[in-house]
Amino acid sequence: MAKTPDPERLELLQGTLDMLILRTLQWGAQHGHGIGQAISSQSDDLLKVETGSLYPALHRLEKRGWLKSEWGISEANHKAKYYQLTAAGKAQLSRERDRWTQLVDVIGKIMNPAAE
Amino acid sequence: MRPEERELDEEIRGHLALEIQQRIDRGESPQQARANALRQFGYLPQMRDEMRRVWYSRWYDIAEALVQDMRVGLRSLLRAKGLAATVVITLALGIGANAAIFSVVRGVLLRPLVNRGEERLIYIKQSAPGIGVNSTTFSVPEIKDIRERSTTMEAFGEFSTIEFTLIGLGDPRVIQAGVVDGHYFEVMGLKPILGRLVEPSDDGPKAAGVAVLTNRFWTKSLNSDPSVVGKTVELGTRSATVIGVLEPSVPYPADTEIIANMVTSPHHMGAQMTTRRTHRMTQLFGRLKVGKTIDEARSELGAIHTAIKSDHPESYPPRSDMRIEVAALRDQIAAPARPVLLVLLAAAGIVFIIACSNVANLILARSVRREGELAIRAAVGASRAALRRTLLAESLVLCGSGAVLGILLARPMVAIVASFAARFSVRALEVTVDSSLLWVGAGLAMAAAVLLAYVPRLPSSQNPTGPGLAAGSVRITSGTNRRLKIFATTQVAFSFVLLAGAATLLATLIALRSVNTGYDMEQVLAIDLPMQTLGAVTDQDLAFYRKVTQRITEMPGVEGVAMGAVTPWRDAGKLGSIPFGAEGFTPENGEENPRARIRMVTPDFFNVLGVPLLAGRDFTPEDRRGSKDAPVEEVVIVSQSLAERIYPNGEALNHRIWWIDDYLGPKPFPRRIVGIVGDVDDQQIARGPVMAVYHPMAQFGMAGRLFVRASGDPHALVQPITRAIQGMASNQPVERAATLEDIRAEVLAPERLNAFVFSGFAGVALLIAVVGVAGVLAFGVSARTREFGVRLAVGSSPYLLLTSVLSEGAVIVGVGIVTGTAFGYLFAGIASGYIQQLQMPGLSALLGAAAVLIAAALAASMMPAARASRVDILQALRTE
Repeated sequence: MAKTPDPERLELLQGTLDMLILRTLQWGAQHGHGIGQAISSQSDDLLKVETGSLYPALHRLEKRGWLKSEWGISEANHKAKYYQLTAAGKAQLSRERDRWTQLVDVIGKIMNPAAE
Repeated sequence: MRPEERELDEEIRGHLALEIQQRIDRGESPQQARANALRQFGYLPQMRDEMRRVWYSRWYDIAEALVQDMRVGLRSLLRAKGLAATVVITLALGIGANAAIFSVVRGVLLRPLVNRGEERLIYIKQSAPGIGVNSTTFSVPEIKDIRERSTTMEAFGEFSTIEFTLIGLGDPRVIQAGVVDGHYFEVMGLKPILGRLVEPSDDGPKAAGVAVLTNRFWTKSLNSDPSVVGKTVELGTRSATVIGVLEPSVPYPADTEIIANMVTSPHHMGAQMTTRRTHRMTQLFGRLKVGKTIDEARSELGAIHTAIKSDHPESYPPRSDMRIEVAALRDQIAAPARPVLLVLLAAAGIVFIIACSNVANLILARSVRREGELAIRAAVGASRAALRRTLLAESLVLCGSGAVLGILLARPMVAIVASFAARFSVRALEVTVDSSLLWVGAGLAMAAAVLLAYVPRLPSSQNPTGPGLAAGSVRITSGTNRRLKIFATTQVAFSFVLLAGAATLLATLIALRSVNTGYDMEQVLAIDLPMQTLGAVTDQDLAFYRKVTQRITEMPGVEGVAMGAVTPWRDAGKLGSIPFGAEGFTPENGEENPRARIRMVTPDFFNVLGVPLLAGRDFTPEDRRGSKDAPVEEVVIVSQSLAERIYPNGEALNHRIWWIDDYLGPKPFPRRIVGIVGDVDDQQIARGPVMAVYHPMAQFGMAGRLFVRASGDPHALVQPITRAIQGMASNQPVERAATLEDIRAEVLAPERLNAFVFSGFAGVALLIAVVGVAGVLAFGVSARTREFGVRLAVGSSPYLLLTSVLSEGAVIVGVGIVTGTAFGYLFAGIASGYIQQLQMPGLSALLGAAAVLIAAALAASMMPAARASRVDILQALRTE
C-alpha cells in the first residue's frame, strides 16, 4: 500500500533524526512514543517520525553508548522503555548541534548568496 | 526467540498502548483507536529487519565483505583453472574419505540401539583368560545362582545358539536358531511386528514349541509373507508353531533365522544342560533396575561370581582364571569393529593432513606468484586484515567446492566402508548416509580454509616496497622455499606412516597365504552334511554315511572320500581341547593334565586330506563299535606333536591314552594308539604345534563334514554329489561346498580387506605426496631458471644441475622418512593405548615402504631436474 505523500509534511533529512532524538531527550527520560510525539508537536506537526525508523534509531544510539534505557510504567499504565541521554550522548549532542549550525550556515550561503 | 526480539515486542506493545490511550482520550472508540494505532505503526516485519541490521551490524558488514571477496576469489580462481582443479580434487579426496569413515564410525560405535531402554541393556560375559578362552558363556546352574543373588538387575534373559534342520519353510535346510527363555525379549526391549514373542508362559518342559522369525529371515527368505504366522514347522526332532515376527534389530550374539523357546531343543531339556555347572552354552543378558548404574552391576556381579567360584571350586580350576565381565550391550556389539574403525579413522585423518599440506603448497606457490598483486593492494592502503580476508575468501571457495565434491564421493564410499566394517560388527549393516556427512565435510572444509588462509605471508602495509612491487614478477624468497619444503616433507612423512602400515598388513597377509598348512589345499572339497540329530552318531547315521561314501567313490573324477566332524578353519572353535591322561606319563608336580583336540574321522581321512601318516596304521572299517558278545578294541591316532611331547623316546605306538572329562564318561576309558600323523591346524591358518587325538567315527562320534579328493576340477563335482546325496535322502541338507583353498581365502577375507583398504589409503597418500614433491621441485626450478642459465653459461655441466635438483628431492624424501618413522612410532605408542593387538611393522615392511616412496619421489623429481639441466641459456638470461 503506497502512501500518498502529504504535501504539507516535510521529509526528514538523512542523519538528522539521531540529532533530533538526542535533542528531545535533553529534558529528561522519555519513551519512544513520547519522543516521536515531542518531535512532531515541536515542529507544529510538520515533521512526522515513522515508528519504523524511530525504534531502529533508538537502538542504534543505545548501541553506540549515547543513550541508555530502563523499563518503567507509562501513562497508559503499561510497561514502556524509557531512554535517557548518557554523558557521551550529551557530548555528541553538542557536537551535532555545532555541525548542524555550520551546515545550515554554509548551505544558506550557497542557496541565498544575495542575502549576505 | 532471542532476548532482544522479545524486548522489542514488549517495547512495541508499550508504544501501541500509549497511542491507543491517546486516541481514546481524543474521543475515538476503543476499536477505532486500536485499528488506527496499528495502521499508523506501519509494517512490522520491515522494522524487525531494520532492527536486526542494528543489532548485528558487525556480522552484516563482515558477511557482506566476505561475499564480495568470495566473488572476487571465484573470478581469480577461474583464471587459474588447473590449480583450482588440483586443489579441489585433493581436498575432495581428503574430505570424502573422512566424512565416509566418520559416518560409519558414528553408526557403529556411537549410535544407540533400537531396543527400548537400551541404556539399561547389559551383556554379561564369563571368560577364562588362563586358558585363552574369550567367552565361555554360562551354564544353567550358574545363571540360576546369578539370578537368585543379584539385586541390581531387573531381569535376566538367556540366549543360546543351536543348529536345527528346519522343515516346513522352503527347502529343508540347516539353520542357526536362537533358543531363549521367556524373559529374553522383555529384557532386550524388543517388540513383535506381527503376532507375539516368546513369553514366560512358554518356559518349562510342558510348554508347546513356539518359534519367532527374525525380521531379516522373514523379509529376505519369506518375502514378508504374513500368513506364516500360525504355521507349524519341524525343528529337528520336535515341532513348533510360528507365533510371530520380530522387529528389525541388531542380531546379537548370533544372526539366527528363528528364535524358539527352550522346549524345542531336547538338548536344553536334558539333564546335562540343566544340572551340569560346566556345561556352558548360554549367553546372558540383563536389564538394569532403574537408578542402578553399570558400575554397581559390575561390582555386584563380580562379588557373586567370586562367591560362586568358592562354592564350587571343582568347576572353576584356578588355571583357567575365570572371570565375569559386564558391558553395555551397545559397546559389546561394537567392540570387535572398534580397532579397525579407529585405525581407518586415523588413516583418513592422515590422508586429510597430507591433502591439506599439498594444497597449502599449491596455494603458497600461487601466492608467491601474486606477491605483486598483494603488495600493490597493501601499498594503496588495504589493511592486513583485508588482505587476509581476501585469501580466506579464496580458500573458502576452494575448500567449499572441495567439500561438495568430497561429500558426493563420500556417499558411495559409506556403503563400501560399511560393508567392510560389517565383517567386524553387525551394526555396520544399518549404517546409512545421513546429515552427519554434511557436518563433517563442512567442518573439515572450514578447518582447511582457515589453515590455508594463514599459510602465505602478507606484505607489510607499513613497508610495502620489496621486489614484488618493483618487478611484479616471481621472486622466491628463502622463507617461502623453506615453507614449501616443510609441507612437502610433511606429506612424505605421513605417507610413509601409511605405507609402512599397509606394508605390514600386506606382509601378514602374504605370510598367511603362503603358509604350508599341511593339507592338500586345491584338490580337496569340503561339504557340510549336517547330522539330523545332535550328539553322538547313531548306527543309522553310520550306515547312511557308508552308503554315501560308497556312492561318491564310484563317481568319475573322485579319488577318495572321507567324513569328519570339523571343516578346517571354517569350524574353528567347534570342538575344543580336552585334558587327557596317557599310559606311562605323569604330569610334573603341580602341572595340569595336557590337553588335546578331539577329532572324529573315517578311514582314509588322512589320505584324502593329504595329511602324512608318519607311523603305525590308518583306521580301517574294522575299527567299529563292538557289542557285548563281540567286543572290538577301541583305538586312536595321535598327532606328531602329541606323540613327541608325551613319549619323547618315540614309543607312542601301542600305548594307551584316555580323556579326563566326565562329560565323555565318568570312568577313564583307555584307547590304544595305532598311528601317528603329521600336525595339521584346523583352527588357525598360521600353523603351530597341534596336539590332536583322532577317533574312528564308528567308535566315537560326531560327523557332518564330507571330504572329497578330486582328480580334476573339484568344483565340477559339487552338483553331481549334491544330487546323488539328495537322491538317497531327500531331507538331508547338502551345504557350503568349497575347496580347502576356497575356505582359506574365505577365512582370510577380513585380513585381505584390511590390507586392501589400507593400501588404498596409502596409495592415495603416496600419489598426493609424490605430486607434492614434484611440484615443489618444479616450482623451485622455474623460479631459478635464471640462476641455472648463468651456471650453464659459465660452464657448469648439465649433469651437475640434474643431480643437484635430484638430491634436493632426495633430501626431502629422506627427512620425510626419518620424521615419518619417528612420528609413526610415537603414534603407534599412543594408539596402542586404545587398540590392542596393534602390530608393529617389521624391518622388511619398513624398508619396502621406504623403497617405494624413494623410487616414486625420485621418478617424480626426474622431470623438473631434467628441465633444469636443459635450460636455454640465452632465454634464461633474457628473462629479466
